[in-house]
Amino acid sequence: MVESFKSSGKRKGYLGALALIAILVGLYWGLLRAPADAFQGEVQRIMYLHIPSILTAYLSFFLVFVGSCLYLWKREKRDDILAYSAAEIGVLFTALTIVEGSIWGKPTWGVWWTWDARLTLTAILLLIFVGYLMLRSLIEEENRAAVSAAVLGIIGFLDIPLIHMSVYWWRTLHQPPSILRPDKAPWDNIHPAMLTALAINFVAFVLLYFYLLSHRFRLGEMLEEIKARKLRGEP
Amino acid sequence: MRPWGFVLLAYGIVWGAIVCYSISLRRRYRRAEEELARLRALEASQSHAPK
Repeated sequence: MVESFKSSGKRKGYLGALALIAILVGLYWGLLRAPADAFQGEVQRIMYLHIPSILTAYLSFFLVFVGSCLYLWKREKRDDILAYSAAEIGVLFTALTIVEGSIWGKPTWGVWWTWDARLTLTAILLLIFVGYLMLRSLIEEENRAAVSAAVLGIIGFLDIPLIHMSVYWWRTLHQPPSILRPDKAPWDNIHPAMLTALAINFVAFVLLYFYLLSHRFRLGEMLEEIKARKLRGEP
Repeated sequence: MRPWGFVLLAYGIVWGAIVCYSISLRRRYRRAEEELARLRALEASQSHAPK
């Protein structure tokens, strides 16, 4: 899996161009083409950012989980670099999800923030991975930092099933899934233009995510090489 | 704030933050590339130096 991130500059360029096109098409569909919601009106358009960004954050923390497990098992540096890179971008997308949710919450729920189970667990997820990034910079001994971060990365990922199930287990202000439901197909739950806008934006976020991850992963590799060369050069 | 105000605020913050992160990543990437090139050149010059 790690090999796939070591793509050449040309391939990264294609991925970036593809992501940019998808983002522009997504903006067009999300802001102009999709109809306004019958109940929420125009503010529902925030959904085209909110759902793709949290799903991208989940994907990111899944890669942290995989990279952390592989690192603890095989102790290969590239797995640690993958986990570290994915954690950094995952924190960005989680923070953005909370901000979008807050802006969406104000006109629909009447509050910017509430200690609802799903919101609180998402805030905890963000704090765990901010802690993960801080841990890496606070522990000087490199292997100890990587092992501690890997353990925290695995524990942090376990918060995601809790976030998903929170709307079923507790009485929450946040609604349960309204598109992906076991009893109905997605196109029966939402206007086709809204579903298209959501799908395009999701694809755009995933492409953007892999574009950022490929660069962040390569940066991690270069930083490791710099460290190794500097150590070799020391008397 | 009107409904479109909330929408534009959300879109502005999200894409603004992503652009800022991309710029910061690009800068760190460039710095690392330059440092690596410098170290490689230094090592090459030392290995070719007369003993």
